[in-house]
Amino acid sequence: MGEPAIVVHDLRKTFGEKQAVAGINLEIGQGSFAGLVGPNGAGKTTSLSMMTGLLRPDSGRILINGVDVWANPVDAKAIIGVVPAESRLFERLSGEELLEYAGRLRQLPTAEVRSRAAQLLDVLDLADDAKRLVADYSTGMRKKAALGCALIHNPAVLFLDEPLEGVDPVSADAIRRLLTRFVESGSTVLFSSHVMELVEQVCDHVSIIDKGEIVATGTTDQVRNGKTLHQAFIDLVGSRANGGEGLSWLGSSSN
Amino acid sequence: MARLLVQLKLRMLRNALRSSGQAKAGFITSTIFAVLVAIITFIGLAALRGNSASVDATTVVFTVFVFGWLILPLMVFGLDGTLDPATLALYPLRTGPLAVGLLAASAAGAWPLANLIGLLGVTIGLAHGALGILIAVLAVVLELLFCITLTRFVTTGLAGLLRSRRGRDLAILLIIPIFALYEGFAQVVPKLAADHKLSLASFRGVDAWLRWLPPGMAAHAIQDASDGHAGAALLRLALLAAVVVALGYLWIRSLNRALVSVDTSTQSSSVHAAALSFARYGLRGAVAARFWVYQRRDPSSLIGWGITAVIMVAVSISTILTPRYLIGLITSAIFGAAFAGLFHANIVGTTGPAFGSEAAALTGARSLRAYFSGQDAVFATIAVPLLTAISFVLAAVAKHPLDGFVGMALDIAGIGAGLALSNIFSVTAAYPVERRVGSPTPRPADGYRGYAIGGTFGNLIGTAIAVIPFIVAVVLTKSDPAAVRMPVLVVCAAVYGLGLTWAGVRIAAHLGADRLPELALVALRSKL
Repeated sequence: MGEPAIVVHDLRKTFGEKQAVAGINLEIGQGSFAGLVGPNGAGKTTSLSMMTGLLRPDSGRILINGVDVWANPVDAKAIIGVVPAESRLFERLSGEELLEYAGRLRQLPTAEVRSRAAQLLDVLDLADDAKRLVADYSTGMRKKAALGCALIHNPAVLFLDEPLEGVDPVSADAIRRLLTRFVESGSTVLFSSHVMELVEQVCDHVSIIDKGEIVATGTTDQVRNGKTLHQAFIDLVGSRANGGEGLSWLGSSSN
Repeated sequence: MARLLVQLKLRMLRNALRSSGQAKAGFITSTIFAVLVAIITFIGLAALRGNSASVDATTVVFTVFVFGWLILPLMVFGLDGTLDPATLALYPLRTGPLAVGLLAASAAGAWPLANLIGLLGVTIGLAHGALGILIAVLAVVLELLFCITLTRFVTTGLAGLLRSRRGRDLAILLIIPIFALYEGFAQVVPKLAADHKLSLASFRGVDAWLRWLPPGMAAHAIQDASDGHAGAALLRLALLAAVVVALGYLWIRSLNRALVSVDTSTQSSSVHAAALSFARYGLRGAVAARFWVYQRRDPSSLIGWGITAVIMVAVSISTILTPRYLIGLITSAIFGAAFAGLFHANIVGTTGPAFGSEAAALTGARSLRAYFSGQDAVFATIAVPLLTAISFVLAAVAKHPLDGFVGMALDIAGIGAGLALSNIFSVTAAYPVERRVGSPTPRPADGYRGYAIGGTFGNLIGTAIAVIPFIVAVVLTKSDPAAVRMPVLVVCAAVYGLGLTWAGVRIAAHLGADRLPELALVALRSKL
């Protein structure tokens, strides 16, 4: 393994009184399919936003293929692609126009952009809907369109925040196959999720984040440590519920 | 339920006040405006005391308030910060308590309170005796309830009846003729007053039919009670209360329908464009292409241009047919340029979360210069011909068609200023907007109304100041031959406008380069 694709050193972010990210350290090799997992509110989205130059960290350093994201955002943004958790698409463009716009924002030659957009729409099974407005797309179609936008400039590192949330199994399979192919070509993927089965299935590297800190990181086998990833996650993060003691009124509804 | 929802509304207002210094400033500005409206209205109504036409004038004021409640929530200021009813759709609430609760929550806040206090001026201006004052208080409360239920009913009906996305787009465009009617009314009244054709006595004829409408019934109930006709007064108030209840019932019914109706727009037809335009112009061309498409497909953009055109005509109505037509032409150009600018003065917030994808590609001052100049090129391509055409039409109506060139020069210089200011406001005073159920246009998010008001006045004042050199030049060269004067004015305006735009792009790009993550955060908070 050569130079790491993603290096995060002592990354911190506080919102008012709340420390969202409390000094995380991370190193992910090139060609990795890495997962960042954690419970809701653990700091996954905040961390990914800082790693992609969209949220200013309070302190810490992020290197993408050796490029410092916050010292040299121009070069860093050129080599990353981002699929955010919430839709950030131009609703009044058609799917085809959206991908073309994403490519042209990256200053790719127009002919090349149109060719890539057509291929991506085809692979993502959006070709038949290419001329419909994004405003009329379903959740799965929007996720696929967002992925197309993130891939059109062929980034070296792709960040995805909950890429399969709300996506039907057929669309999820199309996304998963595309990402696997992307990683096999030597590019790197880091995605956040709280679906352990998915992470266990596709990732070769896993980091578990809880309360803004990385509590485990390494290859998937190292983190699992002979258990399922789900069980390893519960053991590390701890069960949050107390088993429902004190909820004697719940069930067999009589209000 | 009412108490709970009012508490919730007040808590949301308190939280907005606590959220940040900027939100606090916005809240305070909005509250100051509300207090001013309350004081001016109260004094105005109280000053009617002893006037023979006081009931007629009060009727007109009550009617104007109803019209204001109908129009203003659709406009930029977003005065109505009522709780979003969509959030309550999940709960098993009975229609009656829900209606009362939502109305009570709508009535809580600085602006409804300002309305209430202002209208209570009738207790001095129109009411006499204890019974008169008692009925006046009841009438004002019912008038306010009528305003709230009517505005709720109409806005929810607009969104609820037209269920498809295309239908909603069309409904949103209805704002333009409504705004034109409102502006026509607002401009005709001051003109008549200035020509001494309008006094309190002039309202007598109007009152003959306005008295039978709900606001008129409220005003006349006060008059009846003050004259000792308690029965007539109570009958009028009972009728008004019945209208409020009926409207409230219809509103809740349309609300229930709107909340559970399927959006059928996913079956809508495709777009015809083969690809985005301006392919040869790099990042600037890409941004221009997207902006160009949005000018056609986004109803908010069409509304912006429609309202700009209406404003230009409206502000010149009172003078364009008089010897002072030039003042009308100049005012029209300033307002046109300023409004065109202010509709684009929050590009980040109105672009919404999609700006995040642009921010991922924008890398510093250089790319931001391309971003702003790409948008400006499209903006000027639409604004210059539109504003110029209106100026020439106004000049033709004034029977001085050549003076259209004066308007054109001021339009171009003003558009340059409007562009520069809108770019600078977009990076220095960006604020999130949100679209709520029952409201066709996006409004500033809670705590950011002051930003919208600041942007409006900033653009108006800034544009007016920027075109002063041209106003001076127009006056000083009035006796020069038009063949020489007009081309020189237009060319100088073009150079000046371009210079302002260029400076605005550079300043905005320089200021924005270090704030891209913060701007992306503002965009992400927008709910469109």
